[in-house]
Formats: sequence, C-alpha cells, structure tokens
Amino acid sequence: MRAFLLSTAALAALALAAPANADDSKPLAGKSITVLMPSPQGADVAAEFEKATGIHVDLQTLAWDDIRPKLVTALLAGTAPADVTEFDWSWTGQFNAADWYVPLNDMIDADTVADIKGSSIFTVDGKLLGVPYTNDFRVMLINKKHFTDAGITKMPTTLEELVAAAKQIKDKGITQYPIGLPLSTTEGASTSWYLLTKAFGGELFDKDFKPLFVTPDSAGYKAMAFEKQLLDDGLVDPASTGLRDSQINEGMFAKGVTSIMISGEPGRLGMLNDPSLSQVVGQVEAILVPTASGKTRSYGLLEALAIPKVSQNQEAALAFIKWFTSKDFQIENSSIALPTRTSALAALNEAGKLKSGDVLVEESKYVEPLFPQGTPTWYPQFSSAVNGAINGVAKGQVTVDQAMQNIAGATQKAMAQ
Amino acid sequence: MTAIAAAGNEGGRPAAVSGDATLGLILVTPIVVTMVALVFFPLVQTMWDSLHRINPMQAGTPFVGAGNYIAMLSDADLQRTWVNTFLYVAIAVSAETVFGVLAAALINQVKIGRQWLLAAIVLPWALPGVVNAVIWMGIYLPGPGLLNGILTVMGFSFDNHVWFNDRASAIMAISVVHIWRMMPLTIVIVLAAMQSIPDDLYEAAVIDGATRPQLFFLITLPLVRGAIAVAMTNATVNAFNLFDEAWVLASASLDTRPVLVQIYLETFQNLHFSYGMALSLVVTAVSLLVSLVYVVRVYNTTRYD
Repeated sequence: MRAFLLSTAALAALALAAPANADDSKPLAGKSITVLMPSPQGADVAAEFEKATGIHVDLQTLAWDDIRPKLVTALLAGTAPADVTEFDWSWTGQFNAADWYVPLNDMIDADTVADIKGSSIFTVDGKLLGVPYTNDFRVMLINKKHFTDAGITKMPTTLEELVAAAKQIKDKGITQYPIGLPLSTTEGASTSWYLLTKAFGGELFDKDFKPLFVTPDSAGYKAMAFEKQLLDDGLVDPASTGLRDSQINEGMFAKGVTSIMISGEPGRLGMLNDPSLSQVVGQVEAILVPTASGKTRSYGLLEALAIPKVSQNQEAALAFIKWFTSKDFQIENSSIALPTRTSALAALNEAGKLKSGDVLVEESKYVEPLFPQGTPTWYPQFSSAVNGAINGVAKGQVTVDQAMQNIAGATQKAMAQ
Repeated sequence: MTAIAAAGNEGGRPAAVSGDATLGLILVTPIVVTMVALVFFPLVQTMWDSLHRINPMQAGTPFVGAGNYIAMLSDADLQRTWVNTFLYVAIAVSAETVFGVLAAALINQVKIGRQWLLAAIVLPWALPGVVNAVIWMGIYLPGPGLLNGILTVMGFSFDNHVWFNDRASAIMAISVVHIWRMMPLTIVIVLAAMQSIPDDLYEAAVIDGATRPQLFFLITLPLVRGAIAVAMTNATVNAFNLFDEAWVLASASLDTRPVLVQIYLETFQNLHFSYGMALSLVVTAVSLLVSLVYVVRVYNTTRYD
C-alpha cells in the first residue's frame, strides 16, 4: 500500500511538473497579441513566432502612409492600436512629447543596443522608445550597365564626378534624364535634400535648433542650388515635381528610365533584382554616397517596433520585439528588411547573401542621425516646408534664396507653436 | 405623448390620432437615436473641443475660447487653401450643372438602350475617388500620358508638358477629375426630374409653334429647377469636400491644396487636433451657407402659396 501511495504521489508530482517545464521554455504561451506593421511582411512571421514562443500573433499590415493616422487616432482616444506598432524615426519627437510609448531601456539588453547602432535615433531624453528592425539608411544606387555603356569605369565619389557621369550618360543618349530625384511635395523630396546637405558637408541645425541653411555658403543652401542646377541642366526629369519617390524609384529606375537614384535605399536592391518587379535585374548596384569632399556621409531613416503604454499585453509584446529583432531572425528576414544589427549585416555579407554587401557595410559605418539632438516635435512642419520649398524652386515659383528663407520662417513658426 | 394619450381617451377620433402618433414615434425613433448618436452628439462635442487646446504633445486641454478660430485669420497657408477650395467649388459646380443638365437633356431624348447609357455614365461616380484620380494620373503623365499623346498627335507641342507645374492648369486638371466623378450624380437627379414632365406640355407648345430651344428654356428648365438646385447643393458640398483628387494628383502642394487636405495635415501630421476640429466646423458651416442660397432660392420659386 505504501509503495502504491508513493508511486501515485510520484506520478502526480510528475504530472504537475510537466506543464511547469513547458511554461519554463514558453512562459507566455497561450497569450495573444496584435502587431501593426507596414506591408509587406513575411507570410510566416506569425506562425514562426507562435512556434517559438507559444504566443499567438494577429499581424496586421497597412500601407506605410496609413499607419500614422491609425496610431494617432487610437492613441489620442486612449486605446491601443496594437500591442506592438511601427515607430518611424520621424515620429520620435512628437510621440515622446505625447508620452504614448513604453520606454524600453530596462527591457532591452545593452548588447542588443550596442549591436543595433540605430537605437540612438529612437532614444529621446534617455528613453529608448523603439527597437529598430529595418535598416533604412541612404546609399546611392546606380545602373552599372548604363555607366559601362557610357564608358564610365570609375564610380563617382564626389558630387562633381556624379554630375559629370550623369552628363556623359545623357550625352551618349542612354537615358534622357539620368538622375532620379523627387521634387514633389512629399517626404521623399525632403529626405533627398537632407542627404545632399550632408553631402555638401553640413548639418540642418545647430545644437539649439538654429537653422544652418540660410546663407549661400551653407551646405543646405548649396544642396538646394545643386538640385535646381540638375533640373536646369536637363539631368532630372521636369515631371519629378509631381512624382512621388516611389514612382521615381520603382517606376523609373526599375524600368531603366533613369541611371542614378540619388537617395537610394538598400532595401530596394532586393526588389530591383526581382525579375517580376524590375527590368534592370543584375544591372543595379550601390555606391557610397558621393560628397563634395569625397568622404562619404549618410544618415539613418530607420523604422522601429514599439509598445504603446495602453497595451494590455506588454510582456508578450516585448517578446515579439526581441524575437523580431534577434540576429537569427534578421538574417532570415533579410530579403524583406535589411538587418539593423551590425552582426547580422556582417554575417550576411560574409555568406555572400548581401547584394552590394561591401558597400552597404562600409556605408553603414558613416550613418549618422539626421538630428543628433533628437528629432524635434515640429519635424513634420519642417519637412513640409522643405518639400514645399523644393517644389517651388523646381517650378520656378521661388528662388533658392527665398526657398531657404521660407523654410527658416516655417520652422520658426512651428517651433513657436 | 401623455397629452396625446389623455386626449385619446376623451373621444374616438383622437384615439386614432394617438395610435398614428405612437406609430410615427416608433418609426422615427431609430433615425433620431442614430442622428443624435452619430451626428449631433459628435458635432456638439467637436464644437466644445474646438474651444480648447487639444494637442497630445502638450499637457492638459485648457479652454482657449475662440483662439483656434482667431488663429485661422493669420494662417497664410490656410488662406491659400481657401482660395483653392473656392476655385474648385466655382469650377466644379458651374461645370457639373451646365454640362450635367445638357447631358441629362440629351439622354432624355434617347429612347433605346437608355439604361445601358446611364450605367456607363454613372461608372465614374461609382468608383472611389482615389481610383478615379489614379486613372487620371496616367492620363496626365508628362511622358507616356494619354492627354499629351493626343495633343501631340493633333500637332500641338505637348510632348513632355507637365500639367502640374503651373497652378492654373493644375487646379483645372484636378477640377476635371472631380467633375468627371461627380457629374453623373447631377445627370441622374436632373434626368429623373425631366422624365416626370408630362409629354402633353411639349405637345401643346409644339402646336403653338414653339421651337426646340424654347421647349428647353421655357418648359424643361423651369420644371427641373428644383432638381437642379438639389444637384447644385450636392455638387457644392462635394466640391468643398474635395480631397482624394488633389492628394493623389498633387500631394500636399500649396498650389492645389484644398482646405480638407489642410485639415488632414494640421490634425494628423502636426497633431493640432482642436485647430483641425475648428477648421472642420468652419468648412461645414461655409458649405452649408453656400448651399442654403440654392435651397432658399428653390423654396421661393417652387412653393405653392
């Protein structure tokens, strides 16, 4: 009887222990979260995460432009748009001021932060508001075949060489407008001007957010004049005043209508080499951003994942962010999002799986935040003023000087609000 | 209700009235509740909120009185968007009314296959505004665009013309897309009114020697005036609400930006929510005021007393 009781007790203990062991490996199994990200995302993301953690994910994807209104509306109403949401670098100032997101400093280990250098862009007032998952910095993309056909063998490292190459391509009749440059009232026009401002060796603001682009010898001023010159020289399509960056990059560069994508995104390399989406497969490569001095510069426009404070499932949401930004998953997901981890980038490059890998790894060393002092709350108004000014200059409605004054005036007004 | 019920107890006829009134109340309750919940309550709430500062980047929601409304007076961008909006309204309402009435008169003459013709005509109206705008974007494209192609074939120098680099042509191009989408509604409303005009009137006028223009101007137009006013009210409100066409074709360009895009930018881009609310209320009020002109005019010309 005693033996029977002992064995029964042992079995009962084992039966109780079994689920406990399962919980140890997947402590949040059975929980359910929602994730809101821009499309496209991998078809197996939810299933893989559930397999790894036991947490069920309802992955909702929207066009990038549609995400912000959804977030803002829900968060203002005090409801969670999702447990994990997209968090763009340009929203950092506003969303921090609104106090909508959970600081992740104590939840993300120091090694991860060190490995993901872009984390600093999402750190405001010492608070890490999001973990970058897609490495969107700027390189220049060129159609190597066009360059070769024009007899150009040395890739440009200075802006002067870039213009000379574009003129040579045009003169040879390879493309009518060799340079793809958005000049419309869209964010793409602003980001191109930021890159050129860096390329001319300058910054947008000083540490006190005093504009540094108003005088003719400033980098921002030169960048605006440079864009105007490219247009006047017939190197940029006049229709660019009405085209979004996606139309210029996907619609024109991917069809071989242009030869140089000024503000190129590394993430586009995959698409440009996909025969179903591109007519320039095997012709495109990245080059280091040419600058006035010849020493490359770039800046990051990273996107992160973050947790709204009103989320009811913050623990499971954190598990998703950690899993999605892990080195292994970033390598696996690299065809959709360029890894933000330096270690993942290096591993992909070593394995020869990164297109223009050497250039991307090299350029990533020069990636700076656009606003080292933190993205300001008035960034959207500033960006609108910038692309409005670019559009006005391109249409011949305002001079470069007036455009720079307009941007400074709009910025001052936005700061005062 | 209680009074009606009490009155009903005093005689046979009032009891029937009470029954009708109760039925009427029951029937009207769902729409009253819906309107209060989804229209009047949000409207009053929006009015109240527009008197406060609601900006998630700033703590609290202090009462600012007419501050948001006064700020509109010194908003240079907003003033440009108002000018653009009034241009859209003037162009769209005029064109939709003139061409819509003429098109309705033409279709009214068609006796065979009118339903197929109508189905084809209402297609742009049935399509979402964004879809219409995307289709027209292809037409307006500088290089391979259909419009430039046709003009070039006709011998004009429009090979690489950029329609949106000039404010006047950009406003006109956006208006055309809006008119293309909304004119079918005018046609349908006016056509329905035209079909209700008795043939006797035309026959009598013809016997009296009336010409076709006289038939149109002296019989048709006066009798469809009420329908035209309804169509114009619709056209006005829709033109004030123009958003998709301008956004898709010219993004946020100040040259073409209507007030509704300005509201979107202020609210969702700049997070100035209460300012956006105040702007929305002003747009609503202005479009209703303009529409009121037609309504009052129609009331004065069609009442029977």
